[in-house]
Amino acid sequence: MSNHIKQTFIMSRANLFSLPRRLAISTSMVLSVALVVAVLAGFLAMSKGFEQALEGAGSSDIAVVLGGGTNQEMGSDIPADAIRNLQAMSGDFGVTRDAAGSLIASREIIVTIGFTPEADTLPRTLALRGMDASGPLIRDGVTLSDGRLFRPSAREIVVGARIAADFPGFEIGETVRLGALDWTVVGHFASNGSAFESEIWADLETTRAAFDRQGQVQSLRLRLHDASSLSSLNVQLQNISQTRLLAVSEANLYAAQAGRTADIIQLFGWPLALLMAIGATAGALNTMMSSVADRTVEIATLRALGFSRLSACLATWFEAIALACIGAVLGILASWLGFNGWQASTVGANNASIGFQLSVTGDVMLNAGLLGLAIGALGGAIPAFAATRLPLTAALRASG
Amino acid sequence: MTNTQPYISIRHLQKGYKIGGEAISIFDGLDLDIPNGDFVAIMGPSGSGKSTLLNMLAGIDRPDAGELRIGNSYLNQMGEGARASWRAHNMGIVFQFYNLLPMLNAAENVELPLLLKPLSAKDRRDRVRKVLDLVGLSGRERQYPSMMSGGQQQRVGIARAIVSDPGLLLCDEPTGDLDRKSADDVLQMLRFLNQELGKTIIMVTHDPEAAKYAKRVLHLDKGNFVEEKRAA
Repeated sequence: MSNHIKQTFIMSRANLFSLPRRLAISTSMVLSVALVVAVLAGFLAMSKGFEQALEGAGSSDIAVVLGGGTNQEMGSDIPADAIRNLQAMSGDFGVTRDAAGSLIASREIIVTIGFTPEADTLPRTLALRGMDASGPLIRDGVTLSDGRLFRPSAREIVVGARIAADFPGFEIGETVRLGALDWTVVGHFASNGSAFESEIWADLETTRAAFDRQGQVQSLRLRLHDASSLSSLNVQLQNISQTRLLAVSEANLYAAQAGRTADIIQLFGWPLALLMAIGATAGALNTMMSSVADRTVEIATLRALGFSRLSACLATWFEAIALACIGAVLGILASWLGFNGWQASTVGANNASIGFQLSVTGDVMLNAGLLGLAIGALGGAIPAFAATRLPLTAALRASG
Repeated sequence: MTNTQPYISIRHLQKGYKIGGEAISIFDGLDLDIPNGDFVAIMGPSGSGKSTLLNMLAGIDRPDAGELRIGNSYLNQMGEGARASWRAHNMGIVFQFYNLLPMLNAAENVELPLLLKPLSAKDRRDRVRKVLDLVGLSGRERQYPSMMSGGQQQRVGIARAIVSDPGLLLCDEPTGDLDRKSADDVLQMLRFLNQELGKTIIMVTHDPEAAKYAKRVLHLDKGNFVEEKRAA
């Protein structure tokens, strides 16, 4: 072990062993770092959970055709003749066909509906998706967890697991009023916690009729041969309608939605955490200056015995980082216990409620923990320098 | 250095401070020779420069001008790092208030200077045991400073100062915080280290009784040695 490392180790040991003398102020530093880390981890976990919910919903092997120059389902409109033309096209343009040679496709619309779960509760907005019978089959990772799928022309709905869990009245066999009509719950589906679980699915024609959307198609889902087939499809779409049509991969559609909302969450989270971190850094600086003042005699004594300035500096810095490290671990632990798996919901791109789970992942812990360590490193730097400037004569004059 | 040279040589040493913008001279051309194996007591009123001189001899402070040589080392020419290293290898300090680290036990406190040397853990333990035995604290290795009397703590301080076997021992009021009986024990110990082990000792003290244990007594006043006489 090099001499400086050995000296730093001894000084650090002396510092840490003397912590009980500074228990109150050291504890306050640890707790302030823990608070900053927990707050940041909470926001990042929210952002991460939302991203996971939406990214889990998308597959790169599925194309979503949108019309009218928008890249969102809401506001999109695909003319019926465009769909007819597309279905009439022969040849391979990257879309999978069934045994009869028809495109595997689902026409879909999204209807946002106000829903009051119970009396005296605030109304929530839910997304009812009308789709062709092939719709559920063109979604990867979706399983029917209970009941059956809706039948054509019947006012039946299949409910995502998140809605079934969060709202009363969506048990199989129950009747739910959506809009002006009653619908019967015939099945529940799950999709590994993705945004699909925040939707209600029903037959397209029945949905159109119930909400006076006759003839409307907002999106057309198509199963591609593979992700690279998307460009071939887009070339074909240029020639089939006057309306501008665009095919995006389902994965990108949801990732873009996730990115925007996650960015907004982080836009609030990071500045708040950084503001708190500035306060915590000032606290850390104060704590460590107190520590240096408290250890003046010990530092000067060791230096009088021959220990180097560098070791005094590094040992003080190490103490600050060690305290910040404890705070970071506590903050991460608190955020993991308090936030991980916590159910939350927000309004998604279709103006409907999207449920998601806060997710304290490894990179959330890493980012929040690094901010905690940065507080210790920055807050400890000036006191560490101060430790090297202590007048050694203090050691010779020090009283007991 | 030849044998005819004094172990410690101070030539034309100057040292001053600025207090409130006013320059105050502590030493202005101080000369002093101390031969190897001497035991010198430095006395003088407060503000006479005793501690300043001791700090410069310890390499803790630097002279403004002049020459300060100990053995072959010119401390006035050395930087902070070199002086720290020199302290670690060439001298021991005994403090008035012991300056033991309260969170370390007696053995660990004594071991501190040895941690700066390339010694194995076993060698360090052997040396610590030997030197604690020498100062009469055998069996108290695991005791913490708070469990010891002032006299015992100062003996730990002396053990720490001599554990790396330095040629020079600097003592700053080593009995200033002790009762007479404990003070005499500590002074006997210093005399033993000087006479039996050949350590050169420079002791700053206010106590005439303590000064009697030294071979020479130097009185400092206004930055100069105004009197030098042999202790009785």
